[in-house]
Amino acid sequence: MPDFMLFLHQDLGTGPIRSPEEMMAVTKEYMAWADRMRAEGRLKGGERLANDPGKVLRPKGGRIAVTDGPYAETKELIGGYFAISATDYDEACRIAESCPHLKYGGRIEVRQFHTM
Amino acid sequence: MSEHGGTDLLVEGLFRREAGRLAARLTRLFGPARLPLVEDVLQETFAAALARWPIDGAPERPAAWLAAVARNKALDRLRREVREQPFDEALFDAMPITEEPKADLDDTLALMFVACHPALGEDAQAMLTLKTVCGFGVNDIARAYLTSSDAVAQRLVRAKADIRKLGLTFEIPEGGELAQRLPALLQAVYLLFTGGYTAGEGEDLIVAEFCVEALRLAELITRHPATATGEAHALAALLSFQHARASARIGNSGELLRLAEQDRSLWDRELIARGFAHLQGAMTARELSVYHVEAGAAAVHASAKDFDSTDWQQLAQYYAMLEELKPTAVVRLNAAVATAYAEGPQIALLKLDRLSGDRRMDDYALFHATRGDLLFKLGRHEAAHAAFGKALERPLSDPERAFIATRAKSCRRVS
Repeated sequence: MPDFMLFLHQDLGTGPIRSPEEMMAVTKEYMAWADRMRAEGRLKGGERLANDPGKVLRPKGGRIAVTDGPYAETKELIGGYFAISATDYDEACRIAESCPHLKYGGRIEVRQFHTM
Repeated sequence: MSEHGGTDLLVEGLFRREAGRLAARLTRLFGPARLPLVEDVLQETFAAALARWPIDGAPERPAAWLAAVARNKALDRLRREVREQPFDEALFDAMPITEEPKADLDDTLALMFVACHPALGEDAQAMLTLKTVCGFGVNDIARAYLTSSDAVAQRLVRAKADIRKLGLTFEIPEGGELAQRLPALLQAVYLLFTGGYTAGEGEDLIVAEFCVEALRLAELITRHPATATGEAHALAALLSFQHARASARIGNSGELLRLAEQDRSLWDRELIARGFAHLQGAMTARELSVYHVEAGAAAVHASAKDFDSTDWQQLAQYYAMLEELKPTAVVRLNAAVATAYAEGPQIALLKLDRLSGDRRMDDYALFHATRGDLLFKLGRHEAAHAAFGKALERPLSDPERAFIATRAKSCRRVS
């Protein structure tokens, strides 16, 4: 079964201030989703990235230019990712649809891993 | 992925409770003037849990994990600021990540004394306590106070600015200052409870949680030698008796049940026993407080095995005392009700009618509903109907409205 990357896009910034109770509810939802992926043997990995835009390196006039990036103009960044296995894009998208990330204002980009 | 804890490690209310506990510890480190910073650190701490736990699983001891992260975030903050304001890293030894109930009690009470400083208004005291000591969100507080989240947020910002200006230290006050500041603390806890008890009427779970928190704080206050005064015990007794009846107050279809209709087997016997233990502790007071008298009245109900065996004479005496200490609309109304049972509806009605010139009474729906009830008992069904009608023209919660409307209809049926 091929693997897919779910890039979790989100707005730069901390988002709305949630009460501890709300934070716990959100945490539990993500945990439950990840647990379900694990139980189905689909979860191949995941990581949460630091809440900053990071850096982008580009060759420029024979040198390497380092800039803040990559989406400085859109104020959006990749907040993290999950890697999951699914039979095809259809199934991968259905799975991504169930991820709580969408409910909390984020966008998910689904990309298939390259296979031989 | 083999080692991870599931969501079952996250017991109900964990983040909220830890928010209060950590806020107290962090405020000891940063000082009351920097409450906003304390809140930032807490926010970052819970964000860290959200970032890590879905991937790593919940830690085996989530509370200790949160405390360790909060400690590191706090340290980061202070290091970043170090050029502006040097700090003593040794202070961090004072923030152990292990559970230490004694330090928790001291810190929580010290934080309560900050939140309930008499220079802040009564509402601000209760709101700040709910936010920092109890870990409730601005939205929750806004719902209980029937106001907007923005209004609550502004109120809290102002209160925190006031605290900075007051230059408060983080400690449980002593001697004369303690005597001066403890009443505001007790009052805030009382308001927390009555706010939860009357607003929303069971439709809103958050509001019910306010009652539980108020009870917890009253217990905390009576556990510390500095604050365990007779008055504090009286308050804890009162809240215990009241809360013991909580689950019997709401009927099957969400309607409000009066004392006469409540299934007393649903009353929390253990809590009632705690109430009597606190009442014992309350006897050390040199003078009687309002809490003493209210707790005494609540104890009369708590010890009656059914409604008919209520000691109305004693209850009427308590209410007479209470009317002198605190002549509010609610107290006067309850006094009249107790009189009705002790001396009959005729005398109670006379008592109520003497109050009818009072504007506050006239605006109060339950005043008219009580009049209606007494008139009905006296067989004056037309007048009773009119009184219930007046009650329905005034602000009421939904369950109360439904109840009074039924009473109004029953007047028509009889006459």
